[in-house]
Amino acid sequence: MYISLNWLKDYVKIPSKLKPENIAAELTGHTVEVESFTNSAEQFNHVVVGKVLEVAKHPNADRLRVTVVDVKKGKLNIVCGAPNVAPGQLVAVALVGAILPNGLEIKESLIRGEKSEGMICAEDELGLGKGHDGIMVLRDSAKIGEAFSKYLKVDDIVLEIDNKSLSNRPDLLNHYGIARELSAIYNLTLIPYEKVLDKKWDFLSVKENKLEVKINALDACPRYLAVKVKNIEVKESPSWLKERLVAANQRPINNIVDLTNYVMFDCGQPMHAFDAAKVKKIVVRRAEKDETMETLDEKARVLSVEDLVITDGNEPIALAGIMGGHGSEISPETTELLLESANFAAAGIRKTSQKLGLRTEASVRFEKSLDTALPEIALFRFLTLLKKICPKMEIDSPLIDIDNSDHQEKTVELDLAWLDKKIGQAIKKTDVINTLERLGFVIADSKAEVLSVKIPSWRAAKDVANKEDIAEEVLRLYGYDNINSQMPASAMELPEINEERLIERKVKNVLCLKNSLNEAYNYSFVGEDQLKKLNIDYSNYLKLANPLSGIHNLLRQSLVPGLIANIKSNQFKSENFGFFEVGSVFFKTVGTLIKDKSEGSFLPYQEKHLGLAITGDDDLFGRLKGIIDSLLKNALGQRIEAEYFVIEEKPGWADTNAIARVIVGSQELGLVSLLSVEASASNNLKRPVAIAELNFNKLVELVLRQPSFQFTEAPKYPALSRDLAFVVDNKILYNDLKKEMVEFNSLIKSVELFDVYIGNKLEGGKKSLAFHLSYQSEERTLTSEEVDKIQASLISLMAEKFEAQLRSF
Amino acid sequence: MKNKLNELRAEFLEELSRATNNDHLRDLELKFLSRKGQLSELMGGLKDLSAELKKESGELANTVKKELQDKFEEMKKSLNSYVSKTENIDVTLPGNKISQGHLNPITLVQNELEDIFSSLGFMILDGPELESDYFNFTALNVPPSHPARDMQDTFYVDQKNKDGQYDLLMRTQTSPVQIRAMLKYGAPLKALVPGRCFRNEATDARHDHTFYQVEGLLIGKDISFANLKSFLELVGQKLFGPNTKLRMRPKFFPFVEPGNNGEYTCFLCQGKGCRVCKYTGWLEIVGAGLIHPDVLRAGGIDPEVYSGLAFGFGLTRLAMLKYNINDVRLFNSGDIKFLEQF
Repeated sequence: MYISLNWLKDYVKIPSKLKPENIAAELTGHTVEVESFTNSAEQFNHVVVGKVLEVAKHPNADRLRVTVVDVKKGKLNIVCGAPNVAPGQLVAVALVGAILPNGLEIKESLIRGEKSEGMICAEDELGLGKGHDGIMVLRDSAKIGEAFSKYLKVDDIVLEIDNKSLSNRPDLLNHYGIARELSAIYNLTLIPYEKVLDKKWDFLSVKENKLEVKINALDACPRYLAVKVKNIEVKESPSWLKERLVAANQRPINNIVDLTNYVMFDCGQPMHAFDAAKVKKIVVRRAEKDETMETLDEKARVLSVEDLVITDGNEPIALAGIMGGHGSEISPETTELLLESANFAAAGIRKTSQKLGLRTEASVRFEKSLDTALPEIALFRFLTLLKKICPKMEIDSPLIDIDNSDHQEKTVELDLAWLDKKIGQAIKKTDVINTLERLGFVIADSKAEVLSVKIPSWRAAKDVANKEDIAEEVLRLYGYDNINSQMPASAMELPEINEERLIERKVKNVLCLKNSLNEAYNYSFVGEDQLKKLNIDYSNYLKLANPLSGIHNLLRQSLVPGLIANIKSNQFKSENFGFFEVGSVFFKTVGTLIKDKSEGSFLPYQEKHLGLAITGDDDLFGRLKGIIDSLLKNALGQRIEAEYFVIEEKPGWADTNAIARVIVGSQELGLVSLLSVEASASNNLKRPVAIAELNFNKLVELVLRQPSFQFTEAPKYPALSRDLAFVVDNKILYNDLKKEMVEFNSLIKSVELFDVYIGNKLEGGKKSLAFHLSYQSEERTLTSEEVDKIQASLISLMAEKFEAQLRSF
Repeated sequence: MKNKLNELRAEFLEELSRATNNDHLRDLELKFLSRKGQLSELMGGLKDLSAELKKESGELANTVKKELQDKFEEMKKSLNSYVSKTENIDVTLPGNKISQGHLNPITLVQNELEDIFSSLGFMILDGPELESDYFNFTALNVPPSHPARDMQDTFYVDQKNKDGQYDLLMRTQTSPVQIRAMLKYGAPLKALVPGRCFRNEATDARHDHTFYQVEGLLIGKDISFANLKSFLELVGQKLFGPNTKLRMRPKFFPFVEPGNNGEYTCFLCQGKGCRVCKYTGWLEIVGAGLIHPDVLRAGGIDPEVYSGLAFGFGLTRLAMLKYNINDVRLFNSGDIKFLEQF
């Protein structure tokens, strides 16, 4: 919203010594953020008054003229295309360096071989109208060389205020409201609004009623005022009106439309003027299903039963509180008006405006809940000004005022002792009272310790309702800078430790610092194409109702697609690399977190996953398992290895030969796999990729369940180690071989795989697995003979069970 | 005896010469030199000899024993040492490259914040990213069709409730965790909530539909505006250095009353004015206020007994400021060249 300082001066005497930056700073400090302020004269920088001395034909162009213009500092050669340029004229000259309101930048140039040192301006080039028939000829009183802004008497300052920061303060979406704040901030006298409106009008009596108004949706239209006016001449607005609208960033249209807008920017009430010749009566009702209407912007709108419309008894003639209809708008032929000044319920306006994607100055105000006292005030303000611009106007109906609004006054009890406690500092009672009164609050008895504070109607709708709200009013005007800060007294307490966070941090550090993986943050959303390429069934995925695009329309159930994308986007930047991510995934099934106050309603199930992806040329599958082991060792604080089991249910992207479940203890954590060649190809990946996805919540549980680490004393007796390599059929699993060896004899303390060989030194279909076995007794030193004996029987057992042949080194 | 000693000596030396590792040595030691080894066994026979023979054989046995032990030690040393090859080293060569991964800068900043607030006795909490309309808005004093909902464009999940309304959404703020925390822990309460949030807005260098926020709340008896101010000053000093000043301005947030924003001295230019602070010397960082009584009520806390302060700021924005990152999309890009800098 744009606020003109000149306009404010209608209501509050702003001392001339107050600088605009000060006003902007004080408003920002006490009321609302002023985003910027501009001097409206600035748009005419480098534009001065000049006198045309000579006009000659351009030697090379019939339509151009070469002029000499006196701008006091010197005489300029200017090439001019206007037919009306003549010696002796006073004109607006844009000097080199000027940037005109229409964006044109003036440079010294050669036009068809003639030097031109500026431009003689037309009205439209100066943003002052539509005229481009010729240059703008100035009044004789213009002084050669003076700034054009001075000639025009533009000396306004325009403040820009962000509407978003006013969502609770519709009373500030107009000049009077801001003037009231300034009067409170600077302790200046505020001219009562009553002073600028004439309430004495000769409305016709009801007997001569020519205006029928019916409200069929009282809940959506608490108040509706209407009156007819005749003898209207629709024409261009007078310059004072145009200037103000331009300052408020509103395009002037005609005097009637401009005046409704003026009143809105003046006191905050949106109004609408219908052409009374086209509207015989008013019926306010809800739209019918699929009813259509054409709004002022000449767009057809399809309505639904929750939308509120103004009708003439049959057809909609306006979308209530949002935009008028095209058919009943004011035209140059209009001679009589039907004025509407109404209050519409906020929620409905907001809903309709959002649904239709139609936000207007009116809807922005109504949806914030306007003061129901305002329509009447605004209507009188309009008539008062209308008389000024259309002196022949006459009232042509009774004043209709259908008022179902709640005019009950709201009062809040303000305990001053409570206030001091809330602020944390004693505020003088007189300061409290003065502050509130300057803002329009009324204090019944200023002697009481508990003040009875009446809320002014313009703050009562949705804004001020309780003592906390009143405290804010006092505090913000008293000034945050004037409050002495004071640390809260707090008991010494040990906060509950968020173990999950600590584990997450540890996991991230291990993966990053120890295993050289980079931390990815991927979006929580995925797209259908992305999942199709990975052969993932997304029929069970939660969808967004209003996604930004098709690539982000589903809620992820796995971190894999994101990590694959990470690998892909970096495959030309690096060769051996990997990523991990800790992130949430979302499911349709019901979770355990409550959804609202009602019993038994829960949010969809969400859990955290840990995803890992590496690429490169070496044994990726084995390396990724190694990373998982390193992670477990560090997270669990002791050497616990994951076990890998054959998996039945395989994701569509996995290499069906190289995928395993990851199990720790008896807890299944997730899976580890190679990406299938097909998925790799459809994702244009250059090198193989290994992926693991673990349930992070389960990992956390596992860590928390783990007994705390205890030191083990070194064994007293030395261990004997033996290496054994078995050649077995490819189908024989490591897990089974190992289990057999570990359980074979209690003296076997560890069985560690150190080599796997498949190749031409072996028969086809065979592999060799080589193990370190460590034998140790807690009671004595073992002898070689003893160990050899155990080993011999182990070897024969392995031969028996797995047809394992001993391979010699 | 002499012969036996010599045989043993020869056998030992033969086996020793074939030893290639410590295991072999250990076996040799056990077999020959240990307390129950062959040499001890042989020497144990000395006591049965005549005095003269005992003396003669004893001397020889000791000589052999010493020789074998010396040879054994010598072999042990040679097996466990290496040949120096340092003559041609260029000592100015760089170290070998040790590969290392990199944490996302959001994680780094989040860790830093968690540490600061943990040290002030705050719990670190998290909440669901897929939230309900109730916790994200209604319980935070933003009833349906409240205009404050316009401040935040929301992603709704395509699943309607029994009234035909979308009531599941991607949380637009970390504030719903305020209510969940109050319901779980009651008062008094000190909690910090960092987390991922979502806004349905077009993406460009300054905006991303996914970003991180931090929310803090402190609930106790008689928490005042003066407390809030003091606390925000402390937060600023912890984040941006001890000379950081705070400037507070009124600002509307439905879940606090009074509500305000807090600006801190621009840490990049020390308040002198620079491009980042738009030459004002101040950075608008934090939104804050005293918790609205309706919000305390929604969290099951009696506002006549307890009061509280709350504040929140953009973790993503903080990371951008701290590391001078000018494109927000980099955080979620998974670009290795970006991550490698951290």
